Formats: sequence, C-alpha cells, structure tokens
Amino acid sequence: MASTSVRIDTVTKRYGDSIAVDGVSLAIAKGEFFTLLGSSGCGKTTLLRIVAGFLKQTGGRVLFGDTCIDDLAPQHRNTGMVFQSYAIFPHLSVVDNIAYGLRARGLKAAEIKRKVDTYLELTRLSHLGHRKPRELSGGQQQRVVLARAMVIEPDVLLMDEPLSNLDTEMRIHLRTEIRALQRKIGVTTIYVTHDQEEALLMSDRIAVMRGGRLEQVASPHDIYNRPATRFVASFIGENNFLPAVHRGEAGPGHVRLELPGGQFTAKLRGDLPAGALEAAFRPQDIELCPPDGGGDGLVGTLADIQFLGGTVRYAVDLGGGHLVQVAGSNRSGVALPAIGTRYRLGVSPAAIALFAPEVA
Amino acid sequence: MSALTDTAGPPRRGGLARHLGFWPVVTAIVFVLIAGLLLLPVANIVGVSLSAGAKTGGVFENYVSFFSERFYYQTLLNSFWVSFWPMVFAVCLGVPAAYFVNRYEIWGRGFVRAAVVLTFVSPPFIGSYSWVVLFGRSGVLTQFFSSLGIPLPSIYGAPGIIFVFTLQFFPFVFLLVSSGLKSIDQSVEDAARNLGSSEFRTFRTAIAPLLVPSITTGALLVFIASFTDLGTPIILGERFRVLPVLIYGEFVNEFGGRPVLASALSVLLLLVTTAALLLQRWLSARFSHATAAIRPLQVQEQPLGKRIAATAFVFLLIGFALLPLANIVVSSFLKSNGPVLVASFTLDNYARIMDRLALPLWNTLFYTTVATLLCALVGTAVAYIIVRRPGPVSSLLDTAVMFSYAVPGIVLGVGLVVTYHEPPFALTGTAAILILAYFIRRLPFSVRSSVSMLQQISRDTEDASINLGAGPGRTFLRITVPLLATAILSGALLTWSNTIRELSATLILQSGTTATVAIEIFNEVVNGNFGVASALGTVLILLTFLPLVVLFTLLGKKEEALV
Repeated sequence: MASTSVRIDTVTKRYGDSIAVDGVSLAIAKGEFFTLLGSSGCGKTTLLRIVAGFLKQTGGRVLFGDTCIDDLAPQHRNTGMVFQSYAIFPHLSVVDNIAYGLRARGLKAAEIKRKVDTYLELTRLSHLGHRKPRELSGGQQQRVVLARAMVIEPDVLLMDEPLSNLDTEMRIHLRTEIRALQRKIGVTTIYVTHDQEEALLMSDRIAVMRGGRLEQVASPHDIYNRPATRFVASFIGENNFLPAVHRGEAGPGHVRLELPGGQFTAKLRGDLPAGALEAAFRPQDIELCPPDGGGDGLVGTLADIQFLGGTVRYAVDLGGGHLVQVAGSNRSGVALPAIGTRYRLGVSPAAIALFAPEVA
Repeated sequence: MSALTDTAGPPRRGGLARHLGFWPVVTAIVFVLIAGLLLLPVANIVGVSLSAGAKTGGVFENYVSFFSERFYYQTLLNSFWVSFWPMVFAVCLGVPAAYFVNRYEIWGRGFVRAAVVLTFVSPPFIGSYSWVVLFGRSGVLTQFFSSLGIPLPSIYGAPGIIFVFTLQFFPFVFLLVSSGLKSIDQSVEDAARNLGSSEFRTFRTAIAPLLVPSITTGALLVFIASFTDLGTPIILGERFRVLPVLIYGEFVNEFGGRPVLASALSVLLLLVTTAALLLQRWLSARFSHATAAIRPLQVQEQPLGKRIAATAFVFLLIGFALLPLANIVVSSFLKSNGPVLVASFTLDNYARIMDRLALPLWNTLFYTTVATLLCALVGTAVAYIIVRRPGPVSSLLDTAVMFSYAVPGIVLGVGLVVTYHEPPFALTGTAAILILAYFIRRLPFSVRSSVSMLQQISRDTEDASINLGAGPGRTFLRITVPLLATAILSGALLTWSNTIRELSATLILQSGTTATVAIEIFNEVVNGNFGVASALGTVLILLTFLPLVVLFTLLGKKEEALV
C-alpha cells in the first residue's frame, strides 16, 4: 500500500515477566501526524524506541513502506528523533548540531550548507547559527533539535514528549509551530505524549495506550466524542459515570435507562454491552433544568459551586453517594444559584455513552 | 514507496567492527589488555608460588615454611605493626585537622590545603631520606641537639617508619573527611544543637556517625599504602624487615634470588591488600547514609582562644609534614660532602645532575606521558563500557579495574617479570614493560574520572547521534569524548602526577638503561649522596606538583579529587 509509511505488526516487548508492549498493530499513513497517548508506563515510549531501533522487540515486525527494518541498526534506519531531554550536542554550535546527520551521511559541504540554511530559516534560527547551545533558551534548543531531526529528511520523525521540559507558555507556542512545520514538510510523524490537550490539538490520529495495549485509534474528534472504551472515556476529557439499568427499547436505536435519580433515553452507538452498564456523559453536555418541569432527567440537589471566572462548575448530589459534575458558563447579570437548590439534569440522548463497568 | 528508495540511510562502512560491532571489538581489546597485564601476572605469581613444592608433593611448601620460620613470619608481623599504627595515628590527626580546617575560621586555610596536597603527592621515599638528613645518625638536627647534650630518639627502625608513614599518609584521612563534611547538611548540626547538644556531643553523636564511611576508607587506604610501601622501609628499616623489602630482596638478590619464594610472599601481600579493600567497601556500604547536602556544613565563628588552638594544632601538623619537603629544597642548594651537608649556598648539585639526569629524566617523561595517554584512551573506553553497556563482561571489567587498586606495585612488578621474561614476550628490562606497568596500575584514575562524569550525561545525547546516522564509533569520538573532555583531562593529570613518582614496580622492572628519576634518587640516597638526591628530588616534586596546579586552577577541581 503506497500510502502507508510505517507499519507496526503485532509488536510485543517483554522484560522478563512484565510486558511493556502487548501485540500492537498500527498502520501510519504517509505525511500523517500520529500520536501515541497514554500515562507513564503505558508502553508508548517503548514502542517509539522500538521504531527508532534503540530497543529490539520480543515479537512482531516494523516496516517502513514495504521494507522490514528489524535487522537495521538504529543508525541505518533514517528516522529523525526528538528527545524529551533535547539531547542537543552541547559542544557543537547550532549549525553543527543541525549539520550532524548530514555529515554522517557524507554529503558535500555545499549541499550541507544549503540544507542547513533552509532549516535554520524554517525554524527561525538563522540569526543564532553560530551560538552554542548554552546560550539558547529551552524553546530555541528544542527548535534546533527539531531542525536537526528534520533536515536529514527522515522516513519518519519520532518525537518523545518534546515539549514536557518547557514552561506552559513556550509549550503552547511551540506545539502550534511544530504542527505547522510538520504540515509544510509533510514528514510522517509519530509523536509521544501524556498530555491529552497536546494530542487533541496536534494530531491527525491518536492511539490511546494502556498497559502496553491500544485502547482506541481514531481522530481527535472521535476519540473525544466517541470513546471506544470506558478507559478512553475517563482518560480523555472529563466524564460523569453512573451505574445504569436497561429498561427496554425506546424507538429504533434508542434504549431507556434507569439511573440514580431518574431515567434517561440514550442513543445506541453500537451493540448494547451485556450485563451491568455504566452511562457516561460529559459535564458540558448537561443542562440544569427546574425540577418540576416535564421530560427526562435525573433529579438532585446542588451540593457545591466552583467559580472559575468564565466557567462555573456545579456538583449535583443525586443521593446514594452519586455526584455529577456540571459545567456552566458565567454570564453577566445572571446570579449564581444557591446551594441546596433542586435541579433536574437534562442530557441529550446522543451525548450518552454506554460501557460495561471496569473490572477493577 | 519512493520516499524510502531514494532516501536510503547513511552509508554503511566495512571492516571488522561492522561485522562484529564497534563496542564488542573494543571490549575484547581492553579485556585482553587488562587480562594480560593484570589477571595473568597475578595468576602466574600464584602458580609460581605453588610450583616449588610440586616435585616434593607439598604445593604449599613455601607457605608452610613461611609460617614456621620465625625470620619470615616476623616480617609479616612487622608489616602489620608499621601499618596499623600509622592508620591509628592518621585518623587521630587527620579527622580533627579536617574538622578544624572545614569548620573553624583558622588562619591560612588556603595554605593548609595546598600543603596537604603537596605532602600527599610527594614521593614517600623522598620524605624518608629527608628525615634521615635531619634526624639520621649524622643528621643536621641530631648533631645540633647532641652538641647541646640532648640525645634524640632514633629515626631508624619501626618507630621511624611509623612516624614517616603517619605524616605521609594522613592526607588520605584529611581529604576524605573534608569531602565527607561537605556532604553533610548544616541542618543536621543545627537540629542537634537546637535539641540541646554541646559542640563536642554534636560531633560525636550527629556528625561523626555520618563520617564513618570517609574515616574507615581513609584509614584503610593509609593501612594499604603503609603495608605496600617499599622505599621508606628500605631507607629507614635497617635490620627491621617488612614484607615488601623481603620480596624485593628475594627477587633482585645479586647472589641468585628466589623468585618462587618472592612469589609466595607477593601472594601474601596481595591477600592482605585485597582483604583490606574488600573490608573498606563493605564498611562504606554498611555505614553509608547517602546524604546529600543542600547547604553543606558552614564555617563557624569561634571564640579567639579556640581559633588560636585549632590553628596551632593544624599548623604544627602541617609543619611536620612539610619539613622534609622544605629540607629537600633547601639542601639541594647546599654544599655536601657525602651525607654531610654544609651550610653554604651552591648550585653544584644541580650542575652535577645535569649530565646524569638527561637519560632518567627523558625516560621518566617519556614513560609517564605514554602511560598517561594509554590510560586516558583505554580508561575512557572502559568507563563507557561499564556505564553504557552493562552486562556480565562489563561488571567483570569493573571488578578487574577495581582489583588493580589492590595489587601493590611490587607485586605487579614481580608478576610482570614472571609472565613476560621469555620469548615471544620477553619484555623484561625494556621500556615497554615499565610503560605497561604504569598503565595498568594507574588505569583506575582515568576510569573513575570518566565513569562519574558519564553517569551524569544523559544517554539521549548519544542516542540522538546514532539516530542521526552516526555509527557507535563515530558517536563515541564525536559526542562522548568531547562531552567527557574535562573528566578525561583531570583523570590524565592525576595519572601523570601519580605515575611520575612510581618507585616500587619500577625498582623490580627497571634495568640500568630504563632507570627513572625516582630510581636515580633512590640510588643516590642508598649511596649517601644526599646533595644530588635533593636536587633530583626537587625536580621530581616539581614534576609531580605542576599537573595538579593545572587541575586545581584551570579545571577548578577541589583537592578531594585526589583520593
């Protein structure tokens, strides 16, 4: 398949008895910005280092295009890697850092200069070419290693949490810049992060990982709006989870659910899981309605208000230890409700996802 | 897909390293070097020591006769005697001195530190003969005091050796305790004082327990240095014989030495030093509290009386330690008539060494430089293998390098002669065997220096280089070595300064044409030409001290780096 750039075929990595990557298969398209998202220890960095060749998988294959690269030493794989720690060469100038991979490839001096200049410009480092790394800020250093990894025209660009050592402002600035540069160059990119906002903002597709396995591979929009598993629903964004009991059909593709505090109609996204159910809905999908009005909904008491400026968070107690988080906005001229007010929580049927409860 | 076919990775180069891998090849080479220069000679000494009895059936014959003949086992007891007491005295003097210098506002702190370093790096045998010049039978001070009718105690025999070893080796304790004090946080002391402890009680109950690893390490290093020193007991021992002197005597005896017996004695010496080093490692680990000081113990203001007393104590100690060195420098400019120095200025001694010094000086500089370069090269590679390529071979290398600490110079010398005295490796008497001996003895300096730096450098930097298409060899030379530059340089300076004054292995391995400055000094001392010896000694002290000046000033190292 010509459009596939990197194929990971049932790759497994074991360390003695523990398993870091567990039978992962992925196909990444040419030019795609693909993110491995998960918390620490989920196997995302291990998988990236297997692609780079720094780790040897226990089982499975990695292919670039149609070529299996498992027997290639890391220096022959033609990947460009950006490390969390920058891994800038502290004794080399900006220009020498960027030229490093080109020199290792034995390119002519003139060609090296031309390519280095191009990338100095692309990363807006032209005026800093002869500086030493210690004279650069963290953000500038990260742009140097980005240029260094891209200038060799790698088959795939590998980025291992490249922004996590930067302060918030620089991080927000650089993630847009990296994404724009990647689009411009069109290099296939595998990006590892634990920051879901970063993943949602930058990626063409995201693979959510847990315990060495893939939970879901989908576009950011689908990951957020149509989480495939309960883990994804809880890991990405915020969700309310309530135990639910199936109370029969409610028209084509819809079911009636009994929840603490009342009943809902939910639109089915696939097959109804067998056995016990949990309903998930996001705080911003909930409407606070008067308790005595008609219609669906859960009735509860306002237990807490967190005022955050533009947004206001309400905690509604449904009884039986069930609290629901509701996100509202703060509008001028609208007074905040009083704690103890009773509300009915309205949720649109399409905003409800159903899962089998986690087996803890 | 096209992107793959036209952007093939960097070119692959041929050669042995390509088929086997760069690091496996390097590992094999350094392993062969260390095995051939250290493990094989030691194994051969053990083999030879057991060989005599092979005909008669008792392989331990030499050891049995050693422990049954008073002449021999008394030597071993003597060795323990002149190593144990310097260890005790060095702790008694070194711990308070280090505490005062680091905690009290004593005067001339910088001078004291420099003096300790100078004492520490000066060759022990120079100190010994300097004491003979001062306190020997026809010594300057002996004669002065006896003209006043005051007889002085003899500098010869066990008391003299203990005295010289204590002054020569107390810097081990001083330097280790100084660095131990710097790793204790001020809050520990503040908390103890706040809870009502007096200064002495605080030291005893809160500070000293944290210094136990430093003190025990320093003490055992003093013990080992005293136990293995050859020059001092030859010069001062007279009829009091210690183990290294016995080995030397048996090995180079003009009337046909007994290499088998010398080997058996070497094995005993090695057993003692190895046991002492293992004990040191065990004690350090056992009493280590892994403290890290955010704000190290501070210098404290003291009442004037305490300040004066502390300064007096430190200066008295330093004065005694520096006296032999000062004496060497001064007497190198004095007229001498054999062992008797006359109080008139002259450059004769320097004029006399000019023609005779040329060859030994050239030898010394050449051997030291080559050995130092070898140490830097191999030591950096070994450090890389130990830190970056953990595994069974790597830990074996680590152990072997640590083991070379335990092998005394004289034992290494005997081992190398036993191993390389016949073709195809007939190296005895050549420059090569001296260079190789220096190299293997001082290798730990380079390894340790690079290991500690390498552990602080993220592996990502090297991975980035590999990822960009540079092979392991290119990555090592272009990335790792430049990053380690200061560590390699400071390791090399320490190697140089420790190699240039080497005596015990050199005494065994040199032939007339490969004599070094240290050997020349030793010969002049034995022949009683103190004037010439002093001039040579001054030159040697300069050569030893200069690299350290570079180390402390340009590289900003602290004197604790020496131990």
